[in-house]
Amino acid sequence: MASTAPSGMPSSKEKKYDRQLRLWGADGQNKLEASHIALFGASAAGCEILKNLILPGIGRFTIIDDKKVEESDLGVNFFLDDDSVGKSRAERTAALLGELNPDVEGDYIEDSFSNLVATKPELFQPGWTPFTHIIVVSPFNTDDVLKLSPEIPTFLVHSIGSTAMLRISASTRCVVDTHPDTLIDLRLLNPWEELSAMVAEKTKDLGIAEKDGGMSDHEHGHVPYVLLLLKFLEDWKAAHGGNPPSTYAEKNAFKDMIRNSMRMDVPGGSEENYEEAIAAVLKNIRAAEISSHTKAVLEDPRCINPTPECETFWIIAHAVREFMNRDDQGAGLLPLSGGFPDMKAESSTYVALQNIYRSRARRDATFVHENAKAVLRKLGRDPELITLDEVSLFTKHANFVRRINYRTIAAEYNFPPDDFHKKAVTSALQSYNAEWNPSLIYDYVALRAWQEYYSKIGQLPGEDDNYLDSDIREQMRITAVDYLSSIGYQSNIDHRLDQMLQEIIRAGGSELHVIASLIGGIVAQEIVKVITSQYVPVNNTVIFDGIKSRTSVFEF
Amino acid sequence: MTFAQGPRWKQLERVRNRKGAFTDDDYAPQDQAEFLDDCKILVIGAGGLGCEILKNLALSGFTNIHVIDMDTIDLSNLNRQFLFREADVGKPKAEVAARFVMKRVKGCTITPHYCAIQDKDTDFYMQFKLVICGLDSVEARRWINSTLVDMVDPNVMETLKPLVDGGTEGFKGQSRVILPTITSCYECSLDMLTPQTAVPICTLASIPRQPAHCIEWASILEWPRVFGDKKMDTDNPEHIQWLYEAALARAKEFNIMGVTYSMTQGVVKNIIPAIASTNAIIAASCCNEALKILTNMNPFLQNYMMYTGDEGVYTHTFEHQKKEGCPVCGTSAIDFEVSPDITLADFIDKLKEQPDIQIKKPTITTQRRKLYFQAPPELNELTRPNLDKKLSELADSGEEFAITDPGLPFNLRLNVIFTK
Ligand SMILES: [Zn+2]
Repeated sequence: MASTAPSGMPSSKEKKYDRQLRLWGADGQNKLEASHIALFGASAAGCEILKNLILPGIGRFTIIDDKKVEESDLGVNFFLDDDSVGKSRAERTAALLGELNPDVEGDYIEDSFSNLVATKPELFQPGWTPFTHIIVVSPFNTDDVLKLSPEIPTFLVHSIGSTAMLRISASTRCVVDTHPDTLIDLRLLNPWEELSAMVAEKTKDLGIAEKDGGMSDHEHGHVPYVLLLLKFLEDWKAAHGGNPPSTYAEKNAFKDMIRNSMRMDVPGGSEENYEEAIAAVLKNIRAAEISSHTKAVLEDPRCINPTPECETFWIIAHAVREFMNRDDQGAGLLPLSGGFPDMKAESSTYVALQNIYRSRARRDATFVHENAKAVLRKLGRDPELITLDEVSLFTKHANFVRRINYRTIAAEYNFPPDDFHKKAVTSALQSYNAEWNPSLIYDYVALRAWQEYYSKIGQLPGEDDNYLDSDIREQMRITAVDYLSSIGYQSNIDHRLDQMLQEIIRAGGSELHVIASLIGGIVAQEIVKVITSQYVPVNNTVIFDGIKSRTSVFEF
Repeated sequence: MTFAQGPRWKQLERVRNRKGAFTDDDYAPQDQAEFLDDCKILVIGAGGLGCEILKNLALSGFTNIHVIDMDTIDLSNLNRQFLFREADVGKPKAEVAARFVMKRVKGCTITPHYCAIQDKDTDFYMQFKLVICGLDSVEARRWINSTLVDMVDPNVMETLKPLVDGGTEGFKGQSRVILPTITSCYECSLDMLTPQTAVPICTLASIPRQPAHCIEWASILEWPRVFGDKKMDTDNPEHIQWLYEAALARAKEFNIMGVTYSMTQGVVKNIIPAIASTNAIIAASCCNEALKILTNMNPFLQNYMMYTGDEGVYTHTFEHQKKEGCPVCGTSAIDFEVSPDITLADFIDKLKEQPDIQIKKPTITTQRRKLYFQAPPELNELTRPNLDKKLSELADSGEEFAITDPGLPFNLRLNVIFTK
């Protein structure tokens, strides 16, 4: 994407994409534009997913489908028209979807997924495949999807009547820019020299009345609350053996201590900066904690021992680990994010204080950058491979980075099932309760039975009006119960399983446009997150229940 | 008009014609033919959600749809409003959207209305079986909500029009079903909106700290100072450029970093990030509920779903409760406690601070007298002295105050009770 300077008038492309650039920026957009997405199955759900990816401007797409358009397709798929009937479904949907965005290139292959997997394996081989991301929409054979490489991000999608499901499989995703709600980190219990010096300077006359040469009401009411908190923490520690307030009761006492120093004989009866300080106590007076997600990254073997081939994420993570371990760098703390909130203050004081936080964050990032360069040298890689900008993005988000290890589809379908899968399904079944924990675990079991029925018989359950629903339901129930015993689940089976079996047989493989469109939105959101490496994608299965309008997420 | 008939609708018909595990025992789809054939639906908004909603309804078998929208197409719509092309920029959204869907889905009639919802009267709204809203304006939502609540005649079932409402922001969104007077209404949940805390003027005027403060200074204080009465047009790139440069200069003066053209535009136009996928999720959810409400093919949402896609996928589905004393769907005036010693002006400030009322320029009357009028000038002049009077001089405790406001689509009735 041709991006202009961020401060100038926007280009016409920036205008067109303005509402999304505000979310994922030029970097996310560049990644979108470099992607090539393959859709296997030009169903309504498949086309809805692609619509939501073509509009924001992926690079290319290819639709693979061997069917001819039937009239019944027109009642559910918006990207087919009357002229399409009898023609290739891949060709027609590619043409009508392609109209959505002239910046996106579209292509099609008139063939089936099964046939291509069998005859053109190079299309699915990492290093050979033209596709960066693969979407497979049901119905598909289990055996066929098991042939897909776990290295290529793959999205398996079901849209059956009122039920829909997405399963993501990919190599490990490392996300830095997770867009947490806030990046603010005030480090009140670990102030550094420059910060303490400013506290001393700006609060030295705090307790003195104006008539005695102290601050005027205006000055007193504009001391930034961060400086107030740091000042009162010093006083508190002096009176409490060097310890900060830690219990709830102590924090309340600390709040009173602040409140008692507030000037009340001012317009409004209280001072806003003091109120802000009191409000910030519970949230901000606490030891710097490392999130479980960041711990998982720092303890990952790929972080501890980065390799000459590894992603730069692991090199920086290693450099952060070193930063924390070194007494002359972080001394146990993560690099500072630099995030700083707005607060009542004079402009110049505020900017000076904000700069103390920003400089500290820059200092920390520079240490990490030096560590990273040293690692690169040791590994025989170009020490300039990682820029300070890349490091700064990481250190800014240090407490919010994510590593997502996706389980393969093969692991989910392993027979006999592995321990992880057994435990995941069993614990979900055991904690299911129709009243207070109505998760969609039985929907999963029903969909698994549906998948097995189709893979074995080659027919969609409920598709043929000549078969009685009750017979099919009996057959699928046996499949479902077999599966449950294979994972070692012998306890009672909730009525929900029969209800879900009935519901998906009722659909007979039909798509409802609204459900196809809804799962199309969910899948597109997840693909955008995976492509841009921003926000946090689902790990690894999400099911939507269109009757109660709710979702469940599982890791299978 | 025929709802979903023929081989084209095989997939929808298959689901609809069979009983499900959750359908009522007496579910009889064939009995609904007449109702559905005559089923007119109103879509409010032909933007990001509206385009999706029109497509979804047309492909759910509905053949008689009306759409109302007062906007024209902008280039920045094209990343999600998929019924529009670059050649359509400047044309009315409702007309282009209606034409596109009708061309694609044969047998579906969509009637566009290129106007504001307030331009239509009760007779217009009475002709529909259901209303779906895909709006980004709180004000318009409050208006249609209160209009539909007012239309309900408890003795005539047909006057109750279910309202399905959706909204999005970035990767998040919500959809809900409102049965006017029966369930919680839009007004009942107004306090769930994050309050728009305005930056104090003194911060803008003398102690800016954030880039946004500099931008607001440029648009709120500097523009009127330099241009007087000349109206600012936030769609005019020259105006934005001027604001951007003014804000940038001010930021420089105070050593504040981060003012950009894009941020300037975002702040003055109050831009909410929007993407195709989130619109698809929320619009589909709204239409899924509409389809279930009108066909009974499955039970519908009770009554609120929030979707969050920032971190994994998370939905919160719950029943929002009717608010006791809701000014729209409640039946009686709301009790409002206040000191008798405050002035009418203080009382008005207090009202403005209420997150569940949200008024800006109220006109206040009691049964006995006119307390304060914003307009016309004669009445304003006559009632202005009341602003400095104590409430106890103007009314008795428990007296009913009627409040009207340009931001309020209904008359607010308050029982003003004096505290001791
Ligand atoms: Zn209400």
